[in-house]
Amino acid sequence: MRDKRLSKFACTALIAVFSILQLSPASSPEANAAEQVSYRLKWLFNMSVAGDIYADVHRYFQKQGLTVTIKEGGPERDAIRELELGRAQFGVASADQVIRALSKGADVVVIAQLFQINPLQWMYRPDYLEIQNLGDLKGKTLGVTFGGNDEHILRTLLAKAGLAENDVTLFSVRYDYTPFFQKKVNFWPVYRNSQAVFLGGKLREAGESYAFFNPVDYGVQFVANSVVTSRQLLEKKPDTVNRFTVALLRGWQAAMDPANSDKTIRAVQNYDKDSSLSTLVEQLEITRSLVHPLPAVPVGTIDVPAWKQTEQILLDQKQIPAAVGVEKHLISVPKY
Amino acid sequence: MLLHRRIYQFFIIYLLAVGFLFLVKYGMGLSDYVIPSPGDIWQTGSEEFVRYFSDVLNTMTVAIVGQIISIILALLVGITGRQATWFGSFIKVAAYNVQAYPIVAIAPIIFILLGDGVISRLIIAAMICYFPLLLSVIGIMSEPVADIEHFYRVTGRMRWQLEVKIRAFENMSKLTTVVAGSATLAMAGTIVAEFIAANAGIGYSIRIALFQSDLAKIIIALFIIGITLSVYQGLLEVSGYMIKKGWASK
Repeated sequence: MRDKRLSKFACTALIAVFSILQLSPASSPEANAAEQVSYRLKWLFNMSVAGDIYADVHRYFQKQGLTVTIKEGGPERDAIRELELGRAQFGVASADQVIRALSKGADVVVIAQLFQINPLQWMYRPDYLEIQNLGDLKGKTLGVTFGGNDEHILRTLLAKAGLAENDVTLFSVRYDYTPFFQKKVNFWPVYRNSQAVFLGGKLREAGESYAFFNPVDYGVQFVANSVVTSRQLLEKKPDTVNRFTVALLRGWQAAMDPANSDKTIRAVQNYDKDSSLSTLVEQLEITRSLVHPLPAVPVGTIDVPAWKQTEQILLDQKQIPAAVGVEKHLISVPKY
Repeated sequence: MLLHRRIYQFFIIYLLAVGFLFLVKYGMGLSDYVIPSPGDIWQTGSEEFVRYFSDVLNTMTVAIVGQIISIILALLVGITGRQATWFGSFIKVAAYNVQAYPIVAIAPIIFILLGDGVISRLIIAAMICYFPLLLSVIGIMSEPVADIEHFYRVTGRMRWQLEVKIRAFENMSKLTTVVAGSATLAMAGTIVAEFIAANAGIGYSIRIALFQSDLAKIIIALFIIGITLSVYQGLLEVSGYMIKKGWASK
Protein backbone atom coordinates (compact mmCIF):
# COMPACT_ATOMS: atom_id res chain seq x y z
CA MET A 1 0.00 0.00 0.00
CA ARG A 2 2.79 2.39 1.07
CA ASP A 3 4.88 1.42 -2.01
CA LYS A 4 1.88 2.13 -4.24
CA ARG A 5 1.46 5.60 -2.72
CA LEU A 6 5.19 6.29 -3.14
CA SER A 7 5.26 5.27 -6.80
CA LYS A 8 2.10 7.32 -7.44
CA PHE A 9 3.77 10.35 -5.81
CA ALA A 10 6.97 9.79 -7.80
CA CYS A 11 4.99 9.57 -11.07
CA THR A 12 3.07 12.76 -10.27
CA ALA A 13 6.31 14.58 -9.36
CA LEU A 14 7.98 13.44 -12.58
CA ILE A 15 5.02 14.57 -14.67
CA ALA A 16 5.00 17.94 -12.86
CA VAL A 17 8.74 18.46 -13.40
CA PHE A 18 8.41 17.42 -17.03
CA SER A 19 5.46 19.82 -17.54
CA ILE A 20 7.37 22.70 -15.93
CA LEU A 21 10.35 22.02 -18.18
CA GLN A 22 8.07 21.93 -21.23
CA LEU A 23 6.37 25.18 -20.31
CA SER A 24 9.40 27.13 -19.20
CA PRO A 25 10.79 29.71 -21.64
CA ALA A 26 14.19 28.07 -21.44
CA SER A 27 12.85 25.08 -23.31
CA SER A 28 11.90 27.08 -26.42
CA PRO A 29 14.19 26.56 -29.44
CA GLU A 30 15.31 30.19 -29.31
CA ALA A 31 16.24 30.06 -25.65
CA ASN A 32 17.93 26.67 -25.94
CA ALA A 33 20.31 28.10 -28.46
CA ALA A 34 20.62 31.45 -26.65
CA GLU A 35 24.17 32.65 -26.42
CA GLN A 36 24.94 35.37 -23.89
CA VAL A 37 26.77 38.46 -25.09
CA SER A 38 27.28 41.96 -23.75
CA TYR A 39 26.97 45.11 -25.80
CA ARG A 40 28.47 48.34 -24.43
CA LEU A 41 26.94 51.52 -25.79
CA LYS A 42 28.87 54.73 -26.30
CA TRP A 43 26.48 57.00 -24.46
CA LEU A 44 23.47 57.08 -22.16
CA PHE A 45 20.11 55.67 -23.18
CA ASN A 46 18.45 58.20 -25.47
CA MET A 47 17.24 58.47 -29.04
CA SER A 48 20.81 58.06 -30.35
CA VAL A 49 20.57 54.38 -29.39
CA ALA A 50 16.99 53.90 -30.59
CA GLY A 51 17.85 50.97 -32.86
CA ASP A 52 19.78 49.16 -30.14
CA ILE A 53 16.84 49.50 -27.76
CA TYR A 54 14.37 48.52 -30.47
CA ALA A 55 16.30 45.36 -31.31
CA ASP A 56 16.24 44.41 -27.64
CA VAL A 57 12.61 45.29 -26.87
CA HIS A 58 11.28 43.64 -30.03
CA ARG A 59 13.35 40.47 -29.48
CA TYR A 60 15.45 40.71 -32.63
CA PHE A 61 18.42 39.34 -30.72
CA GLN A 62 16.42 36.42 -29.30
CA LYS A 63 15.23 35.56 -32.79
CA GLN A 64 18.89 35.18 -33.73
CA GLY A 65 19.51 32.95 -30.69
CA LEU A 66 21.28 35.62 -28.68
CA THR A 67 20.69 36.98 -25.21
CA VAL A 68 22.19 40.46 -25.29
CA THR A 69 22.88 42.54 -22.22
CA ILE A 70 22.88 46.16 -23.36
CA LYS A 71 25.05 48.28 -21.10
CA GLU A 72 24.64 52.02 -20.98
CA GLY A 73 27.69 54.04 -21.98
CA GLY A 74 29.03 57.30 -20.64
CA PRO A 75 32.04 59.59 -20.74
CA GLU A 76 34.15 57.24 -18.65
CA ARG A 77 33.21 54.10 -20.63
CA ASP A 78 35.33 52.75 -23.42
CA ALA A 79 33.85 49.86 -25.37
CA ILE A 80 37.16 48.91 -27.03
CA ARG A 81 38.88 48.51 -23.67
CA GLU A 82 35.96 46.40 -22.49
CA LEU A 83 36.27 44.15 -25.54
CA GLU A 84 39.91 43.48 -24.70
CA LEU A 85 39.18 42.91 -21.04
CA GLY A 86 36.41 40.47 -21.98
CA ARG A 87 33.69 42.49 -20.26
CA ALA A 88 31.79 43.00 -23.51
CA GLN A 89 31.72 41.18 -26.84
CA PHE A 90 30.32 44.08 -28.84
CA GLY A 91 30.36 47.81 -28.38
CA VAL A 92 29.88 51.22 -29.90
CA ALA A 93 32.89 53.44 -30.41
CA SER A 94 33.58 56.63 -32.28
CA ALA A 95 35.80 56.43 -35.36
CA ASP A 96 38.65 58.33 -33.72
CA GLN A 97 38.55 55.88 -30.79
CA VAL A 98 38.79 52.96 -33.22
CA ILE A 99 41.69 54.49 -35.13
CA ARG A 100 43.58 55.46 -31.97
CA ALA A 101 43.05 51.94 -30.60
CA LEU A 102 44.32 50.38 -33.84
CA SER A 103 47.40 52.58 -33.72
CA LYS A 104 48.11 51.20 -30.24
CA GLY A 105 47.77 47.59 -31.32
CA ALA A 106 44.17 46.90 -30.27
CA ASP A 107 42.52 43.96 -31.98
CA VAL A 108 39.30 45.62 -33.07
CA VAL A 109 37.10 45.49 -36.17
CA VAL A 110 34.16 47.62 -37.27
CA ILE A 111 31.06 45.61 -38.14
CA ALA A 112 28.57 48.40 -38.84
CA GLN A 113 28.44 52.16 -39.05
CA LEU A 114 25.38 53.49 -37.24
CA PHE A 115 25.45 57.12 -38.36
CA GLN A 116 25.90 57.85 -42.05
CA ILE A 117 26.06 61.56 -41.20
CA ASN A 118 27.95 62.68 -38.12
CA PRO A 119 25.46 64.22 -35.65
CA LEU A 120 28.23 66.49 -34.39
CA GLN A 121 27.57 69.84 -36.07
CA TRP A 122 27.68 73.50 -35.12
CA MET A 123 24.64 75.53 -34.20
CA TYR A 124 24.72 79.23 -35.04
CA ARG A 125 22.48 82.26 -35.37
CA PRO A 126 22.29 83.37 -39.01
CA ASP A 127 21.29 86.86 -37.83
CA TYR A 128 24.71 87.26 -36.23
CA LEU A 129 26.86 85.00 -38.36
CA GLU A 130 26.57 84.56 -42.08
CA ILE A 131 28.43 81.56 -43.47
CA GLN A 132 28.61 81.32 -47.25
CA ASN A 133 32.03 79.74 -47.33
CA LEU A 134 34.69 78.63 -44.84
CA GLY A 135 36.50 81.94 -45.15
CA ASP A 136 33.54 83.57 -43.37
CA LEU A 137 34.77 81.96 -40.13
CA LYS A 138 37.71 84.39 -40.07
CA GLY A 139 37.70 86.69 -37.06
CA LYS A 140 34.83 84.84 -35.40
CA THR A 141 34.62 83.22 -31.98
CA LEU A 142 34.14 79.51 -32.53
CA GLY A 143 33.06 77.05 -29.84
CA VAL A 144 35.15 73.91 -29.58
CA THR A 145 35.57 71.06 -27.11
CA PHE A 146 39.33 70.80 -26.78
CA GLY A 147 40.36 67.18 -27.15
CA GLY A 148 36.98 66.22 -28.60
CA ASN A 149 36.07 65.19 -32.14
CA ASP A 150 34.85 68.68 -32.89
CA GLU A 151 38.35 70.03 -32.35
CA HIS A 152 39.71 67.70 -35.06
CA ILE A 153 36.88 68.62 -37.40
CA LEU A 154 37.20 72.35 -36.77
CA ARG A 155 40.97 72.35 -37.25
CA THR A 156 40.50 70.50 -40.55
CA LEU A 157 37.92 73.08 -41.64
CA LEU A 158 40.25 75.94 -40.71
CA ALA A 159 43.11 74.31 -42.60
CA LYS A 160 40.83 73.87 -45.64
CA ALA A 161 39.93 77.55 -45.43
CA GLY A 162 43.59 78.48 -45.16
CA LEU A 163 42.98 80.04 -41.75
CA ALA A 164 45.52 79.90 -38.95
CA GLU A 165 44.49 79.49 -35.31
CA ASN A 166 45.08 83.18 -34.64
CA ASP A 167 42.64 84.12 -37.43
CA VAL A 168 39.80 82.96 -35.18
CA THR A 169 39.09 82.88 -31.45
CA LEU A 170 38.60 79.38 -30.14
CA PHE A 171 36.25 79.25 -27.17
CA SER A 172 36.47 76.20 -24.92
CA VAL A 173 33.02 74.63 -24.67
CA ARG A 174 31.83 72.67 -21.63
CA TYR A 175 28.46 71.67 -20.25
CA ASP A 176 27.32 75.22 -19.70
CA TYR A 177 25.46 76.76 -22.67
CA THR A 178 25.32 80.26 -21.12
CA PRO A 179 27.94 81.78 -23.47
CA PHE A 180 25.82 80.64 -26.43
CA PHE A 181 22.59 81.93 -24.93
CA GLN A 182 24.29 85.22 -24.08
CA LYS A 183 25.57 85.44 -27.68
CA LYS A 184 29.16 85.64 -26.49
CA VAL A 185 29.75 82.68 -28.79
CA ASN A 186 27.58 82.23 -31.85
CA PHE A 187 29.08 79.04 -33.23
CA TRP A 188 28.49 76.19 -30.83
CA PRO A 189 29.19 72.43 -31.27
CA VAL A 190 26.15 70.27 -30.63
CA TYR A 191 24.91 66.77 -31.22
CA ARG A 192 22.23 67.45 -33.78
CA ASN A 193 19.83 64.79 -32.54
CA SER A 194 20.17 65.37 -28.79
CA GLN A 195 21.44 68.70 -27.35
CA ALA A 196 20.44 70.65 -30.47
CA VAL A 197 16.80 69.72 -29.91
CA PHE A 198 16.82 71.25 -26.41
CA LEU A 199 18.83 74.29 -27.48
CA GLY A 200 16.69 74.80 -30.57
CA GLY A 201 13.55 74.67 -28.42
CA LYS A 202 14.90 77.40 -26.14
CA LEU A 203 15.90 79.60 -29.06
CA ARG A 204 12.48 79.16 -30.68
CA GLU A 205 10.86 80.13 -27.37
CA ALA A 206 13.01 83.27 -27.36
CA GLY A 207 11.96 84.00 -30.94
CA GLU A 208 15.48 83.55 -32.29
CA SER A 209 16.39 81.85 -35.54
CA TYR A 210 19.15 79.29 -35.80
CA ALA A 211 20.87 77.12 -38.36
CA PHE A 212 23.35 74.26 -38.45
CA PHE A 213 26.80 74.13 -39.89
CA ASN A 214 27.45 70.62 -41.22
CA PRO A 215 31.14 69.96 -41.98
CA VAL A 216 30.13 67.47 -44.70
CA ASP A 217 28.82 70.42 -46.74
CA TYR A 218 32.42 71.67 -46.82
CA GLY A 219 33.93 68.31 -47.68
CA VAL A 220 34.93 67.17 -44.21
CA GLN A 221 33.69 63.71 -43.30
CA PHE A 222 34.54 62.48 -39.83
CA VAL A 223 32.81 59.21 -39.00
CA ALA A 224 30.78 59.05 -35.80
CA ASN A 225 29.58 56.00 -33.87
CA SER A 226 30.11 52.51 -35.18
CA VAL A 227 29.65 48.99 -33.87
CA VAL A 228 32.84 47.15 -33.02
CA THR A 229 33.96 43.74 -31.91
CA SER A 230 37.30 42.02 -31.51
CA ARG A 231 38.98 40.33 -34.46
CA GLN A 232 39.48 37.34 -32.19
CA LEU A 233 35.72 36.92 -31.75
CA LEU A 234 35.14 37.47 -35.46
CA GLU A 235 37.59 34.71 -36.32
CA LYS A 236 36.52 32.29 -33.58
CA LYS A 237 32.77 32.83 -33.78
CA PRO A 238 31.91 34.43 -37.14
CA ASP A 239 28.37 33.10 -36.86
CA THR A 240 27.80 34.89 -33.53
CA VAL A 241 29.10 38.15 -34.98
CA ASN A 242 26.94 37.69 -38.06
CA ARG A 243 23.77 36.96 -36.05
CA PHE A 244 24.43 39.92 -33.75
CA THR A 245 24.97 42.29 -36.68
CA VAL A 246 21.87 41.04 -38.50
CA ALA A 247 19.68 41.40 -35.39
CA LEU A 248 21.07 44.82 -34.55
CA LEU A 249 20.70 46.23 -38.04
CA ARG A 250 17.19 44.80 -38.40
CA GLY A 251 16.42 46.59 -35.15
CA TRP A 252 17.87 49.85 -36.45
CA GLN A 253 16.12 49.46 -39.80
CA ALA A 254 12.77 48.93 -38.08
CA ALA A 255 13.36 51.72 -35.56
CA MET A 256 14.09 54.20 -38.33
CA ASP A 257 11.06 53.17 -40.40
CA PRO A 258 8.52 56.03 -40.19
CA ALA A 259 5.75 53.40 -39.97
CA ASN A 260 7.22 52.28 -36.61
CA SER A 261 7.66 55.75 -35.10
CA ASP A 262 5.23 55.13 -32.23
CA LYS A 263 6.80 51.79 -31.38
CA THR A 264 10.30 53.32 -31.45
CA ILE A 265 9.29 56.19 -29.18
CA ARG A 266 7.59 53.81 -26.75
CA ALA A 267 10.71 51.63 -26.66
CA VAL A 268 13.01 54.59 -25.99
CA GLN A 269 10.61 56.03 -23.40
CA ASN A 270 11.15 52.91 -21.27
CA TYR A 271 14.77 53.92 -20.88
CA ASP A 272 14.79 57.71 -21.30
CA LYS A 273 12.30 58.94 -18.72
CA ASP A 274 13.51 62.54 -18.70
CA SER A 275 12.70 63.58 -22.26
CA SER A 276 9.21 64.74 -23.14
CA LEU A 277 7.21 63.11 -25.91
CA SER A 278 7.60 66.13 -28.21
CA THR A 279 11.38 66.06 -27.67
CA LEU A 280 11.54 62.35 -28.49
CA VAL A 281 9.46 62.85 -31.64
CA GLU A 282 11.80 65.60 -32.84
CA GLN A 283 14.88 63.60 -31.87
CA LEU A 284 13.64 60.56 -33.77
CA GLU A 285 13.02 62.55 -36.91
CA ILE A 286 16.54 63.99 -36.83
CA THR A 287 18.14 60.67 -35.92
CA ARG A 288 16.42 59.08 -38.92
CA SER A 289 17.92 61.70 -41.23
CA LEU A 290 21.40 60.94 -39.87
CA VAL A 291 21.18 57.13 -39.71
CA HIS A 292 19.26 56.49 -42.90
CA PRO A 293 19.58 59.57 -45.08
CA LEU A 294 19.31 57.79 -48.43
CA PRO A 295 16.83 54.96 -49.04
CA ALA A 296 19.31 53.30 -51.40
CA VAL A 297 21.97 53.05 -48.70
CA PRO A 298 21.06 50.38 -46.14
CA VAL A 299 21.28 51.19 -42.44
CA GLY A 300 24.69 50.26 -41.05
CA THR A 301 26.61 50.66 -44.31
CA ILE A 302 30.28 51.37 -43.72
CA ASP A 303 31.39 54.46 -45.60
CA VAL A 304 34.97 53.46 -46.42
CA PRO A 305 36.07 56.80 -47.99
CA ALA A 306 34.77 58.64 -44.90
CA TRP A 307 36.79 56.31 -42.65
CA LYS A 308 39.90 56.92 -44.72
CA GLN A 309 39.37 60.66 -44.46
CA THR A 310 38.90 60.36 -40.69
CA GLU A 311 42.20 58.49 -40.46
CA GLN A 312 43.91 61.11 -42.60
CA ILE A 313 42.58 63.92 -40.36
CA LEU A 314 44.00 62.21 -37.25
CA LEU A 315 47.27 61.61 -39.06
CA ASP A 316 47.52 65.22 -40.25
CA GLN A 317 46.86 66.47 -36.74
CA LYS A 318 49.47 64.07 -35.30
CA GLN A 319 46.89 62.28 -33.19
CA ILE A 320 48.32 58.98 -34.44
CA PRO A 321 52.01 58.44 -35.19
CA ALA A 322 51.50 56.50 -38.43
CA ALA A 323 48.75 55.31 -40.77
CA VAL A 324 46.85 52.27 -39.55
CA GLY A 325 45.12 51.30 -42.80
CA VAL A 326 41.70 51.49 -41.23
CA GLU A 327 40.01 50.01 -44.31
CA LYS A 328 41.54 46.61 -43.41
CA HIS A 329 39.56 46.66 -40.19
CA LEU A 330 36.17 47.44 -41.70
CA ILE A 331 34.10 44.30 -42.13
CA SER A 332 31.46 44.05 -44.86
CA VAL A 333 28.00 44.36 -43.40
CA PRO A 334 25.98 41.15 -43.99
CA LYS A 335 22.69 41.23 -45.87
CA TYR A 336 19.85 41.49 -43.41
CA MET B 1 63.78 64.18 7.15
CA LEU B 2 59.99 64.32 6.86
CA LEU B 3 60.25 65.65 3.31
CA HIS B 4 62.68 62.96 2.31
CA ARG B 5 60.40 60.25 3.75
CA ARG B 6 57.33 61.66 1.96
CA ILE B 7 59.11 61.56 -1.42
CA TYR B 8 60.47 58.05 -1.23
CA GLN B 9 57.17 56.75 0.14
CA PHE B 10 55.43 58.28 -2.86
CA PHE B 11 57.91 56.63 -5.21
CA ILE B 12 57.25 53.24 -3.61
CA ILE B 13 53.46 53.65 -3.97
CA TYR B 14 53.67 54.93 -7.53
CA LEU B 15 56.04 52.21 -8.69
CA LEU B 16 53.93 49.52 -7.03
CA ALA B 17 50.79 50.84 -8.77
CA VAL B 18 52.46 51.09 -12.18
CA GLY B 19 54.09 47.69 -11.64
CA PHE B 20 50.65 46.22 -10.94
CA LEU B 21 49.33 47.74 -14.17
CA PHE B 22 52.18 46.16 -16.15
CA LEU B 23 51.53 42.85 -14.44
CA VAL B 24 47.90 42.99 -15.57
CA LYS B 25 48.91 44.18 -19.06
CA TYR B 26 51.43 41.45 -19.75
CA GLY B 27 49.57 38.79 -17.76
CA MET B 28 46.42 39.31 -19.82
CA GLY B 29 48.17 40.21 -23.08
CA LEU B 30 46.47 43.61 -23.32
CA SER B 31 47.29 46.13 -26.03
CA ASP B 32 48.91 49.52 -25.46
CA TYR B 33 45.47 51.06 -25.90
CA VAL B 34 44.19 49.47 -22.69
CA ILE B 35 47.39 49.85 -20.67
CA PRO B 36 50.36 51.66 -22.22
CA SER B 37 53.74 49.98 -22.40
CA PRO B 38 56.74 51.24 -20.37
CA GLY B 39 58.22 52.63 -23.61
CA ASP B 40 54.97 54.44 -24.40
CA ILE B 41 54.87 55.97 -20.92
CA TRP B 42 58.50 57.02 -21.17
CA GLN B 43 57.97 58.64 -24.56
CA THR B 44 54.81 60.44 -23.39
CA GLY B 45 56.66 61.56 -20.28
CA SER B 46 59.52 63.03 -22.26
CA GLU B 47 57.09 64.82 -24.60
CA GLU B 48 54.59 66.08 -22.04
CA PHE B 49 56.52 66.48 -18.78
CA VAL B 50 57.24 70.20 -19.07
CA ARG B 51 53.70 71.10 -20.14
CA TYR B 52 52.09 68.89 -17.48
CA PHE B 53 54.47 70.12 -14.79
CA SER B 54 53.47 73.69 -15.58
CA ASP B 55 49.79 72.62 -15.46
CA VAL B 56 50.34 70.97 -12.06
CA LEU B 57 52.03 74.12 -10.74
CA ASN B 58 49.06 76.14 -11.97
CA THR B 59 46.66 73.79 -10.18
CA MET B 60 48.87 73.67 -7.10
CA THR B 61 48.95 77.46 -6.86
CA VAL B 62 45.16 77.61 -6.89
CA ALA B 63 44.99 74.74 -4.38
CA ILE B 64 47.46 76.41 -2.00
CA VAL B 65 45.63 79.75 -2.10
CA GLY B 66 42.34 77.89 -1.59
CA GLN B 67 43.84 76.00 1.31
CA ILE B 68 45.21 79.15 2.95
CA ILE B 69 41.78 80.77 2.71
CA SER B 70 40.28 77.61 4.22
CA ILE B 71 42.79 77.52 7.07
CA ILE B 72 42.16 81.18 7.96
CA LEU B 73 38.38 80.70 7.77
CA ALA B 74 38.50 77.42 9.68
CA LEU B 75 40.61 79.00 12.42
CA LEU B 76 38.33 82.04 12.67
CA VAL B 77 35.12 80.02 12.73
CA GLY B 78 36.65 77.19 14.74
CA ILE B 79 37.88 79.53 17.47
CA THR B 80 34.53 81.33 17.56
CA GLY B 81 32.59 78.11 17.59
CA ARG B 82 34.85 76.21 20.00
CA GLN B 83 32.60 76.71 23.01
CA ALA B 84 29.60 74.50 23.64
CA THR B 85 27.24 77.26 22.69
CA TRP B 86 24.30 77.28 20.26
CA PHE B 87 26.54 78.95 17.64
CA GLY B 88 29.25 76.32 18.13
CA SER B 89 26.82 73.47 17.56
CA PHE B 90 25.22 75.32 14.60
CA ILE B 91 28.63 75.61 12.90
CA LYS B 92 29.23 71.88 13.33
CA VAL B 93 25.83 70.93 11.92
CA ALA B 94 26.27 73.32 8.97
CA ALA B 95 29.73 71.92 8.26
CA TYR B 96 28.47 68.32 8.24
CA ASN B 97 25.52 69.18 5.99
CA VAL B 98 27.36 71.24 3.43
CA GLN B 99 30.10 68.63 3.21
CA ALA B 100 27.45 66.07 2.27
CA TYR B 101 26.73 67.80 -1.06
CA PRO B 102 28.82 66.32 -3.87
CA ILE B 103 31.10 68.89 -5.44
CA VAL B 104 30.24 67.62 -8.94
CA ALA B 105 26.71 68.89 -8.35
CA ILE B 106 27.76 72.23 -6.89
CA ALA B 107 30.67 72.98 -9.24
CA PRO B 108 28.61 73.56 -12.41
CA ILE B 109 26.49 76.12 -10.52
CA ILE B 110 29.63 77.93 -9.37
CA PHE B 111 31.01 77.96 -12.90
CA ILE B 112 27.74 79.28 -14.33
CA LEU B 113 27.68 82.09 -11.76
CA LEU B 114 31.36 82.97 -11.72
CA GLY B 115 32.66 81.81 -15.09
CA ASP B 116 35.46 79.35 -15.74
CA GLY B 117 38.35 81.41 -14.39
CA VAL B 118 40.55 81.17 -11.31
CA ILE B 119 37.91 82.35 -8.82
CA SER B 120 35.66 79.35 -9.46
CA ARG B 121 38.56 76.93 -9.08
CA LEU B 122 39.65 78.69 -5.92
CA ILE B 123 36.21 78.53 -4.35
CA ILE B 124 35.83 74.84 -5.14
CA ALA B 125 39.29 74.04 -3.76
CA ALA B 126 38.49 75.97 -0.60
CA MET B 127 35.08 74.30 -0.28
CA ILE B 128 36.55 70.83 -0.55
CA CYS B 129 39.22 71.30 2.12
CA TYR B 130 37.46 73.85 4.34
CA PHE B 131 34.98 71.63 6.15
CA PRO B 132 37.30 68.81 7.23
CA LEU B 133 39.69 71.51 8.44
CA LEU B 134 36.92 73.29 10.29
CA LEU B 135 35.71 70.14 12.00
CA SER B 136 39.23 69.31 13.16
CA VAL B 137 39.88 72.85 14.37
CA ILE B 138 36.59 72.89 16.26
CA GLY B 139 37.42 69.47 17.73
CA ILE B 140 40.86 70.60 18.86
CA MET B 141 39.77 74.02 20.10
CA SER B 142 36.80 72.74 22.07
CA GLU B 143 38.91 70.17 23.94
CA PRO B 144 40.38 71.77 27.12
CA VAL B 145 43.96 70.96 28.13
CA ALA B 146 42.87 70.69 31.75
CA ASP B 147 46.31 70.44 33.45
CA ILE B 148 47.72 73.61 31.94
CA GLU B 149 44.53 75.66 31.61
CA HIS B 150 43.63 75.03 35.27
CA PHE B 151 46.73 76.94 36.45
CA TYR B 152 45.91 80.01 34.37
CA ARG B 153 42.25 79.90 35.36
CA VAL B 154 42.87 79.75 39.10
CA THR B 155 45.45 82.53 38.85
CA GLY B 156 42.98 84.63 36.80
CA ARG B 157 45.38 85.03 33.90
CA MET B 158 43.44 83.08 31.29
CA ARG B 159 42.49 85.03 28.17
CA TRP B 160 40.95 83.58 25.02
CA GLN B 161 44.18 84.13 23.05
CA LEU B 162 46.10 82.12 25.62
CA GLU B 163 43.46 79.37 25.62
CA VAL B 164 43.70 79.07 21.83
CA LYS B 165 47.51 79.08 21.96
CA ILE B 166 47.64 76.34 24.62
CA ARG B 167 45.22 74.12 22.75
CA ALA B 168 46.96 74.70 19.40
CA PHE B 169 50.40 74.00 20.89
CA GLU B 170 49.31 70.82 22.67
CA ASN B 171 47.67 69.53 19.46
CA MET B 172 50.25 70.82 16.99
CA SER B 173 51.03 67.41 15.49
CA LYS B 174 47.30 66.77 15.06
CA LEU B 175 46.83 70.19 13.44
CA THR B 176 49.82 69.67 11.15
CA THR B 177 48.47 66.31 10.03
CA VAL B 178 45.06 67.84 9.31
CA VAL B 179 46.56 70.77 7.39
CA ALA B 180 48.82 68.44 5.39
CA GLY B 181 45.87 66.14 4.71
CA SER B 182 43.72 69.05 3.62
CA ALA B 183 46.35 69.90 1.00
CA THR B 184 45.42 66.65 -0.75
CA LEU B 185 41.75 67.62 -0.56
CA ALA B 186 42.44 71.12 -1.90
CA MET B 187 44.42 69.65 -4.78
CA ALA B 188 41.74 67.05 -5.49
CA GLY B 189 39.05 69.74 -5.36
CA THR B 190 40.91 71.96 -7.79
CA ILE B 191 41.50 69.05 -10.18
CA VAL B 192 37.81 68.10 -10.07
CA ALA B 193 36.85 71.72 -10.72
CA GLU B 194 39.22 71.92 -13.69
CA PHE B 195 37.97 68.59 -14.98
CA ILE B 196 34.37 69.77 -14.88
CA ALA B 197 34.59 73.23 -16.31
CA ALA B 198 37.85 75.16 -16.14
CA ASN B 199 40.14 75.95 -19.03
CA ALA B 200 43.48 75.51 -17.33
CA GLY B 201 45.35 73.29 -14.92
CA ILE B 202 46.12 69.60 -14.82
CA GLY B 203 42.45 68.60 -14.38
CA TYR B 204 41.72 70.20 -17.74
CA SER B 205 44.65 68.38 -19.35
CA ILE B 206 43.51 65.07 -17.85
CA ARG B 207 40.08 65.64 -19.37
CA ILE B 208 41.61 66.16 -22.81
CA ALA B 209 43.77 63.05 -22.37
CA LEU B 210 40.63 61.08 -21.49
CA PHE B 211 38.91 62.38 -24.63
CA GLN B 212 41.91 61.05 -26.55
CA SER B 213 41.82 57.71 -24.65
CA ASP B 214 45.47 58.31 -23.76
CA LEU B 215 46.21 56.50 -20.52
CA ALA B 216 49.96 57.18 -20.80
CA LYS B 217 49.29 60.91 -20.39
CA ILE B 218 47.15 60.23 -17.34
CA ILE B 219 49.85 58.06 -15.74
CA ILE B 220 52.36 60.88 -16.28
CA ALA B 221 49.93 63.45 -14.90
CA LEU B 222 49.37 61.31 -11.81
CA PHE B 223 53.10 61.04 -11.27
CA ILE B 224 53.61 64.80 -11.39
CA ILE B 225 50.58 65.47 -9.18
CA GLY B 226 51.78 62.88 -6.67
CA ILE B 227 55.35 64.07 -6.45
CA THR B 228 54.38 67.75 -6.24
CA LEU B 229 51.83 67.05 -3.55
CA SER B 230 54.28 64.91 -1.59
CA VAL B 231 56.83 67.73 -1.60
CA TYR B 232 54.18 70.24 -0.52
CA GLN B 233 52.87 68.00 2.26
CA GLY B 234 56.41 67.31 3.42
CA LEU B 235 57.08 71.06 3.56
CA LEU B 236 53.89 71.61 5.57
CA GLU B 237 54.96 68.93 8.06
CA VAL B 238 58.41 70.47 8.35
CA SER B 239 56.80 73.89 8.92
CA GLY B 240 54.58 72.44 11.68
CA TYR B 241 57.60 70.88 13.33
CA MET B 242 59.54 74.18 13.13
CA ILE B 243 56.63 76.18 14.58
CA LYS B 244 56.26 73.78 17.48
CA LYS B 245 60.01 73.90 18.10
CA GLY B 246 59.96 77.70 17.96
CA TRP B 247 57.08 77.96 20.45
CA ALA B 248 58.65 75.46 22.79
CA SER B 249 61.90 77.41 22.92
CA LYS B 250 60.13 80.66 23.93
